[in-house]
Amino acid sequence: MELENVYYNKGDFVETASGNKVCRHTVLCGSQNIILHGKAIVQQDAIIRGDLANVRSGRYCIISRGVVLRPPFKKFSKGVAFFPLQIGDHVFFGEGSVVNAAVIGNYVYIGKNCIIGRRCVLKDCCYIADNTVLAPETTVPAFAHVAGSPGAAVAELPECTPDLMTEFTKSFYQHFVPHALC
Amino acid sequence: MENSIKIHQGAVVCTECDLKGDITIGKNTVVHPKAQIIAEAGPIIIGENNLIEEQAAIVNKFPASQESTGNATVMIIGNNNVFEVDCHSEALKIGDQNVLESKCLVGRKVELTNGCIVGAHCRLVSEECLPENTVIYGDNCSRRQQADRPPPQTLQIDFLTKVLPNYHHLYKPNLKD
Repeated sequence: MELENVYYNKGDFVETASGNKVCRHTVLCGSQNIILHGKAIVQQDAIIRGDLANVRSGRYCIISRGVVLRPPFKKFSKGVAFFPLQIGDHVFFGEGSVVNAAVIGNYVYIGKNCIIGRRCVLKDCCYIADNTVLAPETTVPAFAHVAGSPGAAVAELPECTPDLMTEFTKSFYQHFVPHALC
Repeated sequence: MENSIKIHQGAVVCTECDLKGDITIGKNTVVHPKAQIIAEAGPIIIGENNLIEEQAAIVNKFPASQESTGNATVMIIGNNNVFEVDCHSEALKIGDQNVLESKCLVGRKVELTNGCIVGAHCRLVSEECLPENTVIYGDNCSRRQQADRPPPQTLQIDFLTKVLPNYHHLYKPNLKD
């Protein structure tokens, strides 16, 4: 199924040489610690906390409105540390999700208003339904469909999930276009 | 409305957050960028060692029934509380060592005592006073009592007090102890 075009105002977005489209109305703290590997879209009011630790995301990473990406922190016997947040390729974050994960694999779909607790590990190809709350330090296995609060696996995803997610994120990127100049 | 923001020595308050009205922020409290503290219906007094993360909203506003005519009511927040990302609190009285997790909502008529945890996505809008160490969690906002209070986040606060000034502009503290 072809996605519909989503239009944006050219003035509101910055497009980098590697094809990242980043909205001007976002809060990117500590931008020297944020690495977007190309073709990523960061939409309005998203917050990325690079000031706490490094944030790296793969290609075709779509960060919707109001998403908060913040590196997780862990307490040790001596002091605390914030861990870097790693995100794979072809990952989608739905509106208003709060992500405190440590590692997110490739082809992961995170729905709207999800809360991914501190230091969660999301393996490749998992699907987090809307409004899911993942408790801190949860590991989500590959191809799991997780829902509820606290999140529990409810189903498995088909083997073709990598292809579906690649298709989805690529076509989202291609259909995310500026308004035609009139 | 005039802004009067009083910040005690040692507090870290980023200028990117939204502060409105008469607000007092205690020692060693950390307010992340994009947090909202709105004192519309009266002053907000925040104690020591609190952690207020981004998009958290602490709002003292008039209830819908009485439009801006009521007397000023003071909102008091104790010490060692944690307001996580995107929580919304209108509670007028919050004690010590409470945790408001991500995206929870606490209404104006609720009173939090000490050591309470309001879980992620939980809504609490009735008129009540939560007993000490209550935990509210899960899909159905179930409740139970816990034996200990959640540990204070002093270490995290110390870390943030060191790191945040490197990346953000801060409000200058204007009160000595």
